[in-house]
Amino acid sequence: MSGLQSTFPLLLALAAAARAQPVEFNRDIRPILSDRCFTCHGPDATHRQAGIRFDIPGSAPSAFVPGHPEQSEMIRRVTATGADRMPPESSGKAKLTPREVDLLRAWITQGAPWQPFWSFIPPQRPEVPAGRSAIDYFIQTRLAREGLHPSPQADKRLLIRRVSLDLTGLPPTPAEVEAFLADTAPNAWEKVVDRLLASPHYGERMAFRWMEAARYGDSNGYQTDGPREMWRWRDWVIAAFNNNMPYDQFATEQIAGDLLPNATLDQRIATGFNRNHRTTGEGGIIPEEYRVEYVADRTQTTATVFMGLTVGCARCHDHKYDPIAQKDFYRLYAFFNQIPDEKGFTWNYGPEEPFVKAPLPAETQHLNELDSQIAAAQKDYDALQPKLRAAQSAWEAKLNPKRADTWTPAGDLIFRSDWVKSDLPVETSPAGKALQYDGKQFLEANGEAAVFGYLQPFTFSAWIKPETEDGAILTRLDDFIESQGHGLYLMKGRIRLHLTQRFTDLGLRVESVNPVKQREWQHVLVTYDGKRLARGVKIYVNGEPQPVKILFDQNTEPFNKKNTPIRIGAGGGLRFTGAIGDARIYKRALDAEEAAAVAGQTKARLHLEFLETAAPKDIREARARLLALQSERDKFHDSISTVMVMADGAQRDTFLLKRGAYDAPGEKLTPGIPAILSDTLPLDPAQPNNRLTLARWLVSRRNPLTARVTVNRFWQSFFGFGIVKTVDDFGSQGEWPVHPELLDWLAVEFMDSGWNVKAIQKLIVMSETYRQSSVATPALLEKDPDNRLLARGPRLRLGPEAIRDQALLVSGLLTDKIGGPSVKPYQPAGLWQELSGNNGYVQSKGADLYRRSLYTYWKRTIPHPYMMNFDSPNREQCAVFENRTNSPLQALDLMNEVTFLEASRKLAERMMTEGGATPDARLAWGFNVVLARRPNARQQPVLLKTFQRFETGFRADPKSASEYIHEGDSPVRPGLDPAELAAYTSVASLILNLDETITKE
Amino acid sequence: MTRRHFHGIALASLLGRELRAATGAEHVQHGLPGLPHFTPKAKRVIYLFQSGGPSQIELFDHKPRLTEFQGTDLPESVRNGQRLTGMSASQSTFPVVPSKFKLEQRGQSGAWVGELLPYTAKIADKLTFIKTVNTEEINHDPAVTMFQTGFRLGGRPSLGAWVSYGLGSETDDLPAFCVMISTNGGGQPLYDRLWGSAFLPSRYQGVKFRSGGDPVLYLSNPPGFSGENRRGFLDALGELNQITASEFGDPETAARVSQYEMAFRMQTSVPSLTDISKEPASTFELYGDDAKKPGTFAANCLLARRLAERGVRFIQLYHRDWDHHGGLPANLPKRCKDVDQASAALITDLAQRGMLDDTLVIWGGEFGRTVYCQGRLTATDYGRDHHGRCFTVWMAGGGIKPGLTHGETDDYSYNITKDPVHVHDLQATILHCLGIDHKRLTYRFQGRDFRLTDVAGEVVKPVLA
Repeated sequence: MSGLQSTFPLLLALAAAARAQPVEFNRDIRPILSDRCFTCHGPDATHRQAGIRFDIPGSAPSAFVPGHPEQSEMIRRVTATGADRMPPESSGKAKLTPREVDLLRAWITQGAPWQPFWSFIPPQRPEVPAGRSAIDYFIQTRLAREGLHPSPQADKRLLIRRVSLDLTGLPPTPAEVEAFLADTAPNAWEKVVDRLLASPHYGERMAFRWMEAARYGDSNGYQTDGPREMWRWRDWVIAAFNNNMPYDQFATEQIAGDLLPNATLDQRIATGFNRNHRTTGEGGIIPEEYRVEYVADRTQTTATVFMGLTVGCARCHDHKYDPIAQKDFYRLYAFFNQIPDEKGFTWNYGPEEPFVKAPLPAETQHLNELDSQIAAAQKDYDALQPKLRAAQSAWEAKLNPKRADTWTPAGDLIFRSDWVKSDLPVETSPAGKALQYDGKQFLEANGEAAVFGYLQPFTFSAWIKPETEDGAILTRLDDFIESQGHGLYLMKGRIRLHLTQRFTDLGLRVESVNPVKQREWQHVLVTYDGKRLARGVKIYVNGEPQPVKILFDQNTEPFNKKNTPIRIGAGGGLRFTGAIGDARIYKRALDAEEAAAVAGQTKARLHLEFLETAAPKDIREARARLLALQSERDKFHDSISTVMVMADGAQRDTFLLKRGAYDAPGEKLTPGIPAILSDTLPLDPAQPNNRLTLARWLVSRRNPLTARVTVNRFWQSFFGFGIVKTVDDFGSQGEWPVHPELLDWLAVEFMDSGWNVKAIQKLIVMSETYRQSSVATPALLEKDPDNRLLARGPRLRLGPEAIRDQALLVSGLLTDKIGGPSVKPYQPAGLWQELSGNNGYVQSKGADLYRRSLYTYWKRTIPHPYMMNFDSPNREQCAVFENRTNSPLQALDLMNEVTFLEASRKLAERMMTEGGATPDARLAWGFNVVLARRPNARQQPVLLKTFQRFETGFRADPKSASEYIHEGDSPVRPGLDPAELAAYTSVASLILNLDETITKE
Repeated sequence: MTRRHFHGIALASLLGRELRAATGAEHVQHGLPGLPHFTPKAKRVIYLFQSGGPSQIELFDHKPRLTEFQGTDLPESVRNGQRLTGMSASQSTFPVVPSKFKLEQRGQSGAWVGELLPYTAKIADKLTFIKTVNTEEINHDPAVTMFQTGFRLGGRPSLGAWVSYGLGSETDDLPAFCVMISTNGGGQPLYDRLWGSAFLPSRYQGVKFRSGGDPVLYLSNPPGFSGENRRGFLDALGELNQITASEFGDPETAARVSQYEMAFRMQTSVPSLTDISKEPASTFELYGDDAKKPGTFAANCLLARRLAERGVRFIQLYHRDWDHHGGLPANLPKRCKDVDQASAALITDLAQRGMLDDTLVIWGGEFGRTVYCQGRLTATDYGRDHHGRCFTVWMAGGGIKPGLTHGETDDYSYNITKDPVHVHDLQATILHCLGIDHKRLTYRFQGRDFRLTDVAGEVVKPVLA
């Protein structure tokens, strides 16, 4: 149902109110003008007709003649037929309804007073009679105006279930319910609320919705949709809510934590908020086209979440409804357009830069331990240096002066050209034998020893004496330039390494800045550290590291090239002219000293040879220990999770993009906020024009939007609808707040409390309004079907995460662990394979099957079907609106998904072992565990009758009983009668499928 | 959302349009009031999506002069600075390569069809070939997303979701929008968003019918729990929910009961739908023996007909692995063999049953392929990169003029010379056949009225019957 259609009853209610009250421009008139007129007579200058606009006053004085609707052109046109009619037939917009025309007339009769748009005016705290709850005062005042009465307080059992689900996403335990019932103190309710707000599960509950707003995913979101790690950001959010981090800080750290003075690791992790957007690694894309998408996504998400504005509408043209010009969009965009070297074509299998290693406290501790061990080992080794020098001198003195100086590192050497037989003409290089290459002939060897993909380190080296400027030195790829593989080349006299997945767009290419000498022997050596990036390539000539130029750096796709030979003097369609000697391949990246040794530098050779072959035992051991520790630290460091974060400093110019197109730059722009807002609250000119200044502007006490938008979303989470129903649109097409004074009061209170999230939420749940019974009478349903006026308490279907988490909790399966990498609970087999071919879903085991749903791995192109069946946003983009639908797929899911069947069985086991002796007692016990109350006199007989029916059936069919109780990985509790357990499982499943169970009442 | 199923409370005054359905035992989900906007020619759609981008040059767009251009560089005047994918943009040459396979004129209409599609060739007179479909997109993800949702990035409802939102369902036992994916393995990934509902309510999302495991996710009762048990379970659930409804007076409760009942009906109707054991031998002669193997394109075509017979509104098939960057001569024939007989059989079958008149069938991919060779051109082998500037889609059935070839392309099958049909035009035309004015099927989200065709789209009138 569209927003407009579903607000229709409310509009009737509002119109009814309008009869009793004066017409108000913002509430009654602006929505009509916005919806029917602004497209052609609004903020969008390009499409404005006849120069007339109704989003500002006075553009067409004859349209509204104050006090005289009959003389007003507006009334004539909206009631006209034929060519004069507005909006015209051709616009596709509906004619004004008689009621809307009446409102316009009434407003003009009142003098047509214009108002600036409400949400752009900073909120003021409205008066509330002393001693009254502001929430109840405003709600009840409105109810009285509508001739409605608040409902009585809900039953205590329903209440504690309602507030537990709202604040922690989990139902209360029976003990918690009993404690509340037994507590007759006047502040019994407050004690419950305080307990829940202090629960660590509070942060999990709050984080889930925030993850939706922040479009959190565990995968990249496009095409191959590979995995990413952002869970440390998610855990930062949980902790922030649990610690009741003030919301202004919460917002500032996520938008600009990296720019705070002396930013901590946590503050940098927080900025993952704006790196949660989708990224693509689809071969063939045009990188800038997607980089622009990422920046636009950050802009839109930030605007939606903090400002409640649909700025995305201004990406291609001026906003049709709100005073946001296209220029405003790109000025905001400019804040998010400063990541240095940001890639559009990203790595599909891990973090794309910038990212940070985000060790957990225990990991940091282990790193520190390793570091101090390394420092100690280094110290030990350093202390042995005098001894080493002496021993090496003594060793050198004893060496035969006629000995050939040929030592080179042998570890991980997997190929030498000397191992290959050849009849090419022989020549002598400084390292001994070399072969002559005439630009046609070459040497070929089995390549299976050197199968490197894109993440394996290696070293290629050779002695060369080139006769021409271009040629292949040492390669492992097919013999044409586009071929997949690795190649060391001479190109225009410079040393080049190609690592190629697909030549046109995947791989890396690095070359030395300086050319090598022609017709002279020199040693060339390249290393690649296996860490994907071109900056991990080093080039040495004669053992000296060379300045390099990165020509191409898009090494983002795996490959595994088979059946390709190693060639010396050829490959990639090139040949070598000159001589090549001692070509080598190591399966690791040699370090600088080793490179020098391979190149024949005596000092390095002697030092390494001595260390490896002749040094005293204590020196060799000290060195081995140091190297082992360094290697252990590297490995451990590699294993630490990462988070992609924000960074600034690219000095990238931002241009307005015509039609929103990446390749159509227009005017150059500087970062800024929309002009309509900067008039009343400019950015602090004393501060640098960056994200941090933007963040501080957003949480400024005078910002008209942030606090309103935030408390409105909180309100939605308790009552199902925001005070402004369009939680994502506080603009002109958004809904007028149903309780404007209350919204402003809450916003001001929120800011004045120091942006205290728990405090404002406590105020809401402490109110009488929240505590009302949710029973709907026919009269109430007729007058206010969606319960916008709140003459009754909220009754809403639970979100998917709460339905599942509740089942896990009541069955005793829930794993009570907070945070950590995402997990993969049960999912029907084959879902990933059938869409994406080879990426199988590897289900978690044991306790990880029973984690809360916010930890469920979120693959964006194939989200968990359970979550989607129950209306989860798909996490492709920012989503702040809560949807609740009702479908047969939900029914099938709750009845037949293993998660719920297993939970039913475990709940049944509890009923049988903890629930008393009789079926009646056990059924009531199970019902109570789930619903916090016992079945009533009408429900109990249905449960019993159903139990008996199933029990009879399963007794007669033990095989079925046994099958039915074996759903899920958890073992069946021994000692229970299978038929009886199957019957209780059936009723437990029935209870988990009840409307009441999946509803907050 | 489904308050219309609730009978106990007078909701008449809430939403006038809900009134019609709020009485009696009617369960079928209606579409929007005022829809269809005009008398439809087609009641339902079967979309045979060929994911990866089949080559128009080998299959439909006959270009005799390519033989003469063979191996020459694509003239700059033809390419005209157009953007290419990152895969071929840095190629130093763009050698033209003609089709290795013959194309011939077929039927009365004389439509060109390649020799790799002999069955399609036989029914050419029933089809309309649009040779000038075009898209700005040059990569799979955005191009498929564009075809299926009208926008290049995820976040918009799919075509099938729009249609079921607008027109509702004609069946009480099956979802209005069903999706089937061939299990041929390779090829580009697909994404749930292609049949998702995005900001439309989730019940308009496509429901996947799968060839392995449960045909619909979670459809089957668990082992040991019989259908009879399920009936008893639902009776008890209904009774308990009725008690809740009387206590709380929430219309959602009754709506939930009716959704459980529909779930129960699906438990019966889906297995009978997917049970093809009673299909006569002639069916398998028509569709080919592949139709007996679950998960093949042929089996899915047969199921598509069975779904259509049962009133499903939108049936979406996907067949992957048409992405022939290299090795086209070896691989294209395999894909054609996968789909040719069954695609033609579906048309013939629908026609024999009198259903082709009100069923719109669409066949095509997200883009076509370049006339120039990507990668290495050898005597026996070549590949083609993505080409969005012109490619061929065929349509047949409800609302479409049969035996027509629409649009013309240049001698290189590179640019359109007459009658371009943008993706949005094609989408507007599909909706038009269903009696929907694409400009008037909208949904307000974040302050804007969204539609399938974004801000574009013109109905392609010449192809309409």
